Amino acid sequence: MLISIAWKNVWRNRTRSFTVISAVTVGVFAGVFAMAAINSSVEQRIDAAVNEELAHIQVNNKDFRSSGDIQNCLADPGHVVSVLENTQGVTDVTGRILVRGIASTATGSNGVEIAGIDIEKEQKMFTLSKRLIPGTGSYFGAETKFNSVFIGEKLAKELNVIRYILSTESFQSLESEKVPSSVIEKLRPLEGERFTTEKKFSKAFTVLLTSKEQKKYGMKIKEAAWSYREGSRIILTFLDMDKQQTGAAFRICGIFRTNNDFFESKSVFVPEDELRNLTGMENGTYHRIIARLENNDLTDKVTPVVREELPGLEVLNWKEIQTDLAMIVDYITEIYGMFMVLILAALAFGIVNTMLMAVLERTRELGMLKAIGMNKRRIFTMVMLESIFLSIVGGFAGMAVSGVVIGITGHTGINLVKYSEGMEAIGYSAHLYPTIGADFFIMLTVLIVLTGIISAIYPARKALQLNPVEALRGE
Amino acid sequence: MKVVEINDVYKTYHDTAVEVKAVNGVSLAFEKGDFAVIVGPSGSGKTTLLNLIGGLDQPTGGEIIVAGHRLSELKPSELIDFRLDHIGFVFQSYNLIPVLTASENVDFIMNLQKWPKQKRKARTDEMLESVGLSDRHDSRPSQLSGGQQQRVAVARALAPRPEFILADEPTANLDTKAAESLLDIMEKLNREEHMTFIFSTHDARVVKRARRVITLEDGRIISDEHTNHNS
Repeated sequence: MLISIAWKNVWRNRTRSFTVISAVTVGVFAGVFAMAAINSSVEQRIDAAVNEELAHIQVNNKDFRSSGDIQNCLADPGHVVSVLENTQGVTDVTGRILVRGIASTATGSNGVEIAGIDIEKEQKMFTLSKRLIPGTGSYFGAETKFNSVFIGEKLAKELNVIRYILSTESFQSLESEKVPSSVIEKLRPLEGERFTTEKKFSKAFTVLLTSKEQKKYGMKIKEAAWSYREGSRIILTFLDMDKQQTGAAFRICGIFRTNNDFFESKSVFVPEDELRNLTGMENGTYHRIIARLENNDLTDKVTPVVREELPGLEVLNWKEIQTDLAMIVDYITEIYGMFMVLILAALAFGIVNTMLMAVLERTRELGMLKAIGMNKRRIFTMVMLESIFLSIVGGFAGMAVSGVVIGITGHTGINLVKYSEGMEAIGYSAHLYPTIGADFFIMLTVLIVLTGIISAIYPARKALQLNPVEALRGE
Repeated sequence: MKVVEINDVYKTYHDTAVEVKAVNGVSLAFEKGDFAVIVGPSGSGKTTLLNLIGGLDQPTGGEIIVAGHRLSELKPSELIDFRLDHIGFVFQSYNLIPVLTASENVDFIMNLQKWPKQKRKARTDEMLESVGLSDRHDSRPSQLSGGQQQRVAVARALAPRPEFILADEPTANLDTKAAESLLDIMEKLNREEHMTFIFSTHDARVVKRARRVITLEDGRIISDEHTNHNS
């Protein structure tokens, strides 16, 4: 009966109830959606870290990472591989030769880590091959008499392998991108001119356009003028096993684009055999053995098992290598907790206010209920239930709206390209695909009910303090 | 059989340094089946006396015994339960629960008393019929006239068969026709269910029907007359 009365009481003043329910709805939606967006950003980053850059577990010689010394190879890589392959949860294992060196062209150079890889195994373990920019070649596809290297877009820019030329095709692509002909005409004077850097090109075309046009079409113009001459060569210089400087010209077989500028500019990949020949490393020797697991959640379980099996070696998982990533996950969880508490606290004040009004305007009715024998526990429960209903209706509406919006944006994505430079510099994608787990919704439901209960305490106490004689007299 | 016994009861208010004796040494008893009114000018202490009998207020002196219980010996929470189990209230402004229908209002106290559902339903039907509202089961208070609402309030008060009914100016907001009809119903219930009614009123229409008229002035009883109205 109390439940029924409380529910009916919620709808006594529809406008007021709708207002507070809407506030709860919007608050919950804001919280859930923000969480889903942040969550997706972190998940995408973790996915990229695991699938493109690190895999789950890496095993090195103890001194390798700190020294980077080519001679610090794994003493018994065969044993490491067999331990990893026989560990439950491990799906793939491969070895890498890693040397630090310099990548250079006639007009640019950059310090890099050169990874000699088993192409087939790496293609199976990583998704980097899928990150190839169309039109830049392939993932070690073509047979050539030259050494092949697979590099990132950022490095390609730094080495000035990429040019910016507004060719006839560029203008056609701008037209198809619906850039107005007035803008295209303004760009005509630059036709055919070669710019070696993005900066120089930007400088040249910004003079010709208004700031509004630059803002609106700048990205499209750069994209259209971006050009790469297939088969460009770069020089990789490094130390061999005898600590003698060596190097060779490598033909760029393809350029990849990720969301991580640092990775793009510092990592180059070459076939294992080529690097072995150049460095003089023996067959079967490796600096690092890396392993993939069935899923990310197994990381914390498998790492200690491997570590115990391989004493004397450095066994690290992706969280330990990219400590910032693990830290960000913890940090975001905490920030989010605070964020949600703030939203719920704001909602609590709204509910307290509404419930207080509801109680104060029903003074006489509550006095009557006390007079005819409704005890304090029942009155308290009734007010409490009203508050919980208000919160729950708003909360569920908010969750439903969030569910729909997350469902849609999770599919279509949210484009934050405006901020892409800043985000990609630290490895985060500019396209978010919001996602959130069911466990989160369960936790939120509990929190909303708690908010309802906490918000009701003060108004319910007010209701209890009413003296029936005075309440009834107030007519 | 005495339903209510009031022995030398005082109620003094201390308002702004002035001492107001709202009830000043009242002794009274009500018998089972009484149909009694307490009359008197405004401020004579009628409502205060009714509140004291109903356990809504505590006397500053004297003793009130209701259905064999000394009210002064009950804790506040026990008093609420005591009211629920022993006393029926009818208020001047009807005071129905606006979100409930007529039958739900009548059912309310029995529900608080945890009567079985079947029994409640039968009693609700019976009470609504005896107050002449058997066709208004599903009407909300806002859909009923003042007289009809007060009839529902009477049905609610009587449904759980309390020891007696306290009615504070029940006809004050009703027109003559509605007031007469309400009084008819209460008289009938007094007769048929042998229910004790104690009213406070200004209303001559009520006084005319009462079998006992207690007149208060300045918190004292100045007369207590049994009349010869037939019931």
